[in-house]
Amino acid sequence: MHIPDGYLAPAVSIALAVPTIPMWAIATQRVKKVLNNRTVPLLAIFSALSFTIMMFNIPVPGGTTAHGVGGTLIAVVLGPWAAAIAVSTALILQALFFGDGGVLAIFANCLNMGIILPFVGYVTYRLLAAGSPVLSTRRAVAAGIGAYVGITTAALAVGIELGIEPALFSQNGHALYSPYGLSEAIPAMLAAHVFGASIVEGLITGLGVSYLQRRHPEYLTSLRGIFAPDAATEGTAARRPLWQVVTAAAAVAAALLAIVGLVEGGGNPNRMFGADWSRVDWPSVATMLLVTAVIGIVLVPAAYLVLPRGLKRIGAAFTAIAVIAPIGLIAPGFAYGEGSTGNVKAAFGYVPSGLQDLSGIFGAPLSGYNLPLPFFSHASAPLWHAAVGYEISGILGVLLVGGAVYVLARALRRNGSADTAPEGVGA
Amino acid sequence: MTTAAPAVGRGRRLEGRIGWLEQTLGGITGNIEQAIFTEHHARSAGWLQRRDPRAKMIGLLVAILAASLTTSLAGLAILYAGTLGAARASRVPFGFFVKRVWLGIPFFAGIVVLPAIFFVPGPRVFDLALGPAHLAPSWNGLAGAFIFVSRVGVSVSLAVLLVVTTPWADVLKSLRALKVPQVFVLVLSMTYRYIFLFLHTANGILLARKSRVVGRTSGGEQRRWITGTMGNLMSRAFKMSNDVYAAMLSRGFAGEIRSYATYRLRASDVAALGGVAVVAAAAVLVGRLLP
Repeated sequence: MHIPDGYLAPAVSIALAVPTIPMWAIATQRVKKVLNNRTVPLLAIFSALSFTIMMFNIPVPGGTTAHGVGGTLIAVVLGPWAAAIAVSTALILQALFFGDGGVLAIFANCLNMGIILPFVGYVTYRLLAAGSPVLSTRRAVAAGIGAYVGITTAALAVGIELGIEPALFSQNGHALYSPYGLSEAIPAMLAAHVFGASIVEGLITGLGVSYLQRRHPEYLTSLRGIFAPDAATEGTAARRPLWQVVTAAAAVAAALLAIVGLVEGGGNPNRMFGADWSRVDWPSVATMLLVTAVIGIVLVPAAYLVLPRGLKRIGAAFTAIAVIAPIGLIAPGFAYGEGSTGNVKAAFGYVPSGLQDLSGIFGAPLSGYNLPLPFFSHASAPLWHAAVGYEISGILGVLLVGGAVYVLARALRRNGSADTAPEGVGA
Repeated sequence: MTTAAPAVGRGRRLEGRIGWLEQTLGGITGNIEQAIFTEHHARSAGWLQRRDPRAKMIGLLVAILAASLTTSLAGLAILYAGTLGAARASRVPFGFFVKRVWLGIPFFAGIVVLPAIFFVPGPRVFDLALGPAHLAPSWNGLAGAFIFVSRVGVSVSLAVLLVVTTPWADVLKSLRALKVPQVFVLVLSMTYRYIFLFLHTANGILLARKSRVVGRTSGGEQRRWITGTMGNLMSRAFKMSNDVYAAMLSRGFAGEIRSYATYRLRASDVAALGGVAVVAAAAVLVGRLLP
């Protein structure tokens, strides 16, 4: 998320100092009032800690790794003002000494990761944890969700900062700085974080807070008394089994879905989500479900056995998703999985211009995610034929994407090991 | 749009699968190595090393600003020529300086900018029909991509040049010249000192685990362990900050911060700064005159 120099126009880089510098000034005042002369060593050491946390590689399912920022974790313990200074200092050091992130872009990076991230994370955490005892599981979960929301908001801010460049600064029809508009930069940043980096950040924050609850509860209780006196009362850790939490969450989600479906269907259970369920041919759906179940029982364990060690779980999970995909065929009224650009346009309100060019390629071989053979896609073929077609094309798709990612990863790894220049600054 | 932390992942020298532990260890080692490399070059007798750090800092900012403002490749070329000349005169290893920047930058910035070449409207370089799709980069898109990648490369080169020719202590003191509050400078300098302590501690913790764990453990266990390590480091940070504060008190710290270094701006520093200003102005003006 570190923006290097050259991505932002100087006017934008400097304009971002306008919110950043006063925040630093207020933060210093706030922290100083509580801590006095103690401020300097405490902030310095927590900045160093933040720098070290940013160095840690977190193992992510699928065998890759990601970095955390740790801003929300520090905010939960020290409060958001101290966290803002600690993370900002670490970012300035990275830019000035380790060449990570631009020099002119310091204000942008500090605003995104040093201010937006800990504040949004902390406010979300406080809202979710309101009133719960300091040592409760809810507080650890709230911290994790807070970190997730915080870093996602920071990513949104990066997307906006990059996205306004081409509109403001272009010459002879080409962009001078980051070339992508808001409609490309924001989805790209959000997608990269919502399904990846944000999960890691949420995970390390939640687990980190739960570690502190178990091993060093005094940092969450007595210290809070200094930094945020109105925060919370001490309590004991209530250990709730995971299955209870998962079951409760699933029940709540199902109830919410049912309510939304009823609202959309105008209160008629036969018209859930606005679709006409009475048109569904239930016996053929049952056949399809039976076939799908048999395929799943055979295929998912087989994938688990066949795949190499590092890919077993993730591969089996993707196979399972491909196998259950045709369940969407049950839904009447709206074609599922046959997302033409028209559907995408309706869903997102715009068509990414690249998608329009590319849709011709992807549309051709596996049209509508079904195989172009009469057995699978004939209009009068039984539903389960179409389901099998969906599954085969789904698995083919997973294999194609997986293969492409694998080849790319191999190429990148070779590139990395060929680089024998001394470890220095840059990039 | 994000660039990975630079040193991380470059520790991969071994063949085959390298895990998160080795990556983190490699990153930490890389950072320490880099600090030593930098301090070594920052103390050799070169042209930039002899300049007043304040003049260097202001000159760097002027040059990066010019790189951001210029709108033409010619302007960026002028700036890069100046940067290379300064690097040469400052005895920065030439191969390192050029390779480090230009092997990495086209990779990160180039991948980011690649799709834009095809989407920018305008006359096409060629039009390759692939079934229903057209592979047709536009001249405007190519020009934009070249300027973008060059701009990022020149900006990074300038920052690298400052870092490898200035001891960290001087970078900090020159921040004072830019009116950065003393408290921030003190926090930055202490942070820098404790970063190495923390990196050292983390290195020890990670090595201890690596040398005691045989075989593979589950992802959940690894994540619990790494977050536990973070929590543990945080607890050490608290204890350490108390100790450091006590040590500062016992040495007479009363909230006042005093700095002993005094620099004298020499005529040659002023001349160098003037030279930077001229090159920067030329780079910006070339873009205005020769679009």
